[in-house]
Amino acid sequence: MEKMIFGRYIPGNSFVHKLDPRSKLLFVFAFIIVVFFANNTLTYGILLAFTLIVILLSKIRLYFLINGLKPVIFLMLFTLILHLFMTREGPVLVDLGFMKIYEEGLRQGVYISMRFLMLVFMTSILTLTTSPISITDGLEVLLNPFKKIKLPVHELALMMSISLRFIPTLMDETDKIMKAQMARGSDLSAGPIKDRLKAVVPLLVPLFISAFKRAEDLATAMEVRGYRGGEGRTKYRLLKWHAKDTIILVALVIMAILLWMLRG
Amino acid sequence: MQKRSLKLRSFVTIAMLSGISFILMLLNFPLPWFPVFLQIDFSDVPALIAAITMGPVAGILVELVKNVLDWIYTGAPEGIPVGHMANFATGVLFILPAYYIYKKFPSAKGLISGLVVSTVVMSLGMAVLNYVAFLPLYTYLLGFEYDMYETIVLGILPFNIVKGIMMLVVVTMIYRSMRVWIEQQRRQYLA
Repeated sequence: MEKMIFGRYIPGNSFVHKLDPRSKLLFVFAFIIVVFFANNTLTYGILLAFTLIVILLSKIRLYFLINGLKPVIFLMLFTLILHLFMTREGPVLVDLGFMKIYEEGLRQGVYISMRFLMLVFMTSILTLTTSPISITDGLEVLLNPFKKIKLPVHELALMMSISLRFIPTLMDETDKIMKAQMARGSDLSAGPIKDRLKAVVPLLVPLFISAFKRAEDLATAMEVRGYRGGEGRTKYRLLKWHAKDTIILVALVIMAILLWMLRG
Repeated sequence: MQKRSLKLRSFVTIAMLSGISFILMLLNFPLPWFPVFLQIDFSDVPALIAAITMGPVAGILVELVKNVLDWIYTGAPEGIPVGHMANFATGVLFILPAYYIYKKFPSAKGLISGLVVSTVVMSLGMAVLNYVAFLPLYTYLLGFEYDMYETIVLGILPFNIVKGIMMLVVVTMIYRSMRVWIEQQRRQYLA
């Protein structure tokens, strides 16, 4: 249950934990673009060093980062191997008789797996060091300019926060209904597909009805307390922009310029 | 009821349905004889219920919030959340045709024919979107070439058809037991 309240968030006190969610979000979005600037050994080296510094600053145990890699590790190895054997350029490095490994193949394979690794690590660090609710707060502020094109930013953030608040409750309820159905002999996680489809219905119907009921109660409670939409609303959790938030963004810009100049 | 409070109520309901949708997304399972990255889940059902009872925007919002939540909770294994974008597109393509046809013919028959159209629109639409956007993005991120035609025709297209048919069966069964309640909600929200 604890897992569902915090998501992947691991509370901590590191430099990265203390950054403003806005700067972290901006940083990660920019990093996703900057990663693609690198195209030779020097630029990949700089990028890797930068990523390592961020990992060290976040004080996240490597175990958690590797854990996030599990679903893609196979894909990454596959990419690496595919490049090793399929790219036929440059001098031959290893000649096994029945196949040859070329320099360019090794290089491309390593580059692409490294790029992949860095993207996954950086986005993981964001969700590992920022609680879901602060990510929502950060997104709300960053999306504010889109209010001009009639995007309901405040309402979206409100829905996100309500969802986040009620996910554990809904999870409990789902669990309870599933157990109740299991006691009657239905099983959602095993058996032929036909039975599974049938088992979904008695799970969903009570979930929907109670969701609508709960929403009605919550909406009434909000109105009674004077909720009037986003206009002029004050905040309970205030975001504070510190000098270090500016510093990391400047560091990223400097690195981006460096990469752009050094790329081959 | 006042218009403003109805609006607030639908926002809160959308939030609840997104939560359910997100939980259902976690209960996903792969289908035999399909690649593991294609997984079945019933997270589009709450979005469809939202669309039918509160209008198409509500359905799209459920799909959006669900995917943002999933991205925050589980992260994107590819770095860029391509999978989440594809899931959002699939969901929207699935709920809209069903909504519009059900609006014209609000009966069990209308819903079933709507879902059949939805299945066709979603699987064809996703075949096209995967060809022009999502698969090239994956290729770019992973940097290797594979037979895109084969992936779509043998993997994604039949998978989405099977998924659509499964949704059709589940939604029809749900509709049979919730019909009166759904109509009641529609009268409140879409009046």
